[in-house]
Amino acid sequence: MSARQQPNVTGTRPPPWRDERVLRVAVQVAFLAGVGALLWLLGGNLVRNMRAQGMRTDFGFLDQPAGFALTGTDFSSRDSIGDALLVGLQNTIVVSIWGIILATVLGVLVGIARLSTNWLVRKCAAGYVEALRNVPLIVFLLFLYLAVLQRLPRINDAFDAGGFVFSNRGLYAPWVAVAENSGIFLAICAGALALAAIVGAWRTRRFDATGEPHHRVLWGGAAFLIVAGVAWAVLDRPVSITLPSLEGRNVSGGYELSVEHGALLLGLLLYMAAFIAEIVRGSILAVPKGQSEASHALGLGGFQRYRYVVLPQALRIAIPPTGNEFINLAKNSALGIAIAFPELLRVTRIAIGQGQPAPQLVGIMMLLYLAISLLLSVVVNLLNRRLTRRGA
Amino acid sequence: MRHRKFLTSLLVVPALVLAACNGDDGNGGDEPALPEDDGGEEVDAAEGEEDEAPPAEGTLAEVQSRGVLNCGVNDAVPGFGFLTAEGEYEGFDVEFCRAVAAAVLGDADAVEYTALTAEARFTALQAREIDVLIRNTTWTASRDGGESGSFTTTTFYDGQGMMVRSDDDYGSLDDMQDTVVCTLSGTTTELNLESVFVARGLDYEPLTFEDNDTLREAFLAERCDGWTSDKSQLAAFRAEWPEDEGGPDALTILDETMSKEPLGPVTLDGDVEWFDAVRWAVIVTIQAWEFEIDSSNVEEFLDVDPEEDPEVARFLGVDEFDAGLGLDPDFAVNVIQQVGNYQEIYERTVGPETALGLDPGFNTLWTEGGLLYAPPYR
Repeated sequence: MSARQQPNVTGTRPPPWRDERVLRVAVQVAFLAGVGALLWLLGGNLVRNMRAQGMRTDFGFLDQPAGFALTGTDFSSRDSIGDALLVGLQNTIVVSIWGIILATVLGVLVGIARLSTNWLVRKCAAGYVEALRNVPLIVFLLFLYLAVLQRLPRINDAFDAGGFVFSNRGLYAPWVAVAENSGIFLAICAGALALAAIVGAWRTRRFDATGEPHHRVLWGGAAFLIVAGVAWAVLDRPVSITLPSLEGRNVSGGYELSVEHGALLLGLLLYMAAFIAEIVRGSILAVPKGQSEASHALGLGGFQRYRYVVLPQALRIAIPPTGNEFINLAKNSALGIAIAFPELLRVTRIAIGQGQPAPQLVGIMMLLYLAISLLLSVVVNLLNRRLTRRGA
Repeated sequence: MRHRKFLTSLLVVPALVLAACNGDDGNGGDEPALPEDDGGEEVDAAEGEEDEAPPAEGTLAEVQSRGVLNCGVNDAVPGFGFLTAEGEYEGFDVEFCRAVAAAVLGDADAVEYTALTAEARFTALQAREIDVLIRNTTWTASRDGGESGSFTTTTFYDGQGMMVRSDDDYGSLDDMQDTVVCTLSGTTTELNLESVFVARGLDYEPLTFEDNDTLREAFLAERCDGWTSDKSQLAAFRAEWPEDEGGPDALTILDETMSKEPLGPVTLDGDVEWFDAVRWAVIVTIQAWEFEIDSSNVEEFLDVDPEEDPEVARFLGVDEFDAGLGLDPDFAVNVIQQVGNYQEIYERTVGPETALGLDPGFNTLWTEGGLLYAPPYR
């Protein structure tokens, strides 16, 4: 330290063009200036060329009526282009969130199955992972859409399996129908949940103080069910179940999942689950074997060993790479464009095809995808930090 | 030290890109790569000096120096623009690409085709990836305006129709309450469908696809009840309907015409010379039909006496009449010899004798009640 500062003290500091510290800063400043100049030049070039071709360079088009309709949404042709983009964004987010949740559940199960001591389970899981990981996602999506879901029964003779209707137009499931006073009911349910939490906390304190079995879940659940049940009866069924019913070519009631949406969701979740399974498998193997042996020595059974010793440690290893897969899944949802699902990329392309300016629309779309990815990585980082801190 | 070298090299790269951009300026983003266009690029490179010419140089000179026409077409509509199993483009629109190449370059085969989706077509034109777009494109105000396209003239007068399965018993559009209708996105069809159904107060669900192949699969699987598009295109798909699905008779095209769809070649705004060249390459095919000149008898007409038939002599450039279009005086002869007149093109690709069997409708000469009307060639 002092030896390096010596030259300064004695005044023999090298001239700036040979001083490494000055040069470092200078190079970085020059680099930034270069990048800035490049972007400025490209942007100027773009705007100049667009003007020369008589294309609009502002964002006013977002308020213009769209003129087209979008499948499976309330979006009408009188709504604006901006609204159309929002509908696309919403579809992307919905399919991504459901995909992430379901792919995680399936991935964890398959990952554990790959380490099973049962030969058949182990090989089946391995077959699933290898088959899916080695096919391009778009091929798999087209296969699901054209060769599987479109080969479901036609709508006229749709297959009705006790409330679940399958056809090549859509998949329908029982769903909740909400009455007008459902808002009050939902508020009461939220209150009941809080009550359940209080009851659970009380049982925990009691357990700590006296050692009697706490039965937190049982007590909390009972508290919730009693309050919610009474409210439901008093408010005269604010929330009920509707079953889809087929009349001619129309299905009323129930929840409708169009085959396009279904194919994309199924494709994304099955595909990404294969990658998550490999992460889970690797993470479990990365937990030192001694941990498992020690819990065995303590007399824990197979399930307990996983639940209390191995998985909590594996989870911490698995979270950062799994987060990457989440982001991948959200970005891959753009492949819905190939199977007529109106997600963000598709809506953007439709708008461009209808004469709206491409540079602005593509720019907006890229920013939105960037925002989704950054948001996901923030969530994963927070989760990661929380878990590692608790473990430390 | 190594660190510094790395950073300096980082600096060099953008500098090079900057230089490249500056060189490109005059042509207004001419280069944006045409991946499959190898032949054309080489010619460009060989005649680099031409490229440096002032921006005044238009597309016409550029195409002529390149020696090949970049034409944006469809590759999935039989009869109009279709890529055959042998890898050849054929169809009505493709014939007009060839006609433009014959007029501008004297060689109908000097065409580089680019297959475009409905959504990508105008972007490709704006990026100058293609010189002319001939891809069953409907002439509309906003395409003339906002899309900065210039519609040269109409090659095909079409109208939007609705195709349904014959056994569904839809007699007219009004029967199509609560149906699913398939269409291509990024088309005028998509917009007309919405306005017609909304105007008639019909509830329906539009299902829009990126490409005709996926749409066809969906219609085959009865994912949708109706398929709407230009009637000519519907006829093309109906003609090719697989026999095991009932053949063409399994489908019906409803009588109603939902819109006017004048289709024609499009060039980029701001290049009048090129616009005129493309427009007249089309017009001479119509004029030739009116003169009853076709590819088989054009040789005989070349002996015409300018005194006797000045119109034809002027048209064929026999008396060296030059209309000042920047084309050879005898460009019409090239077009007729190598491609044929409008009637020949029509009958070869979509006419009654072909699989499509399209009735000409408005697509016949004005003298016979059609809309084909060539301005005088003088």
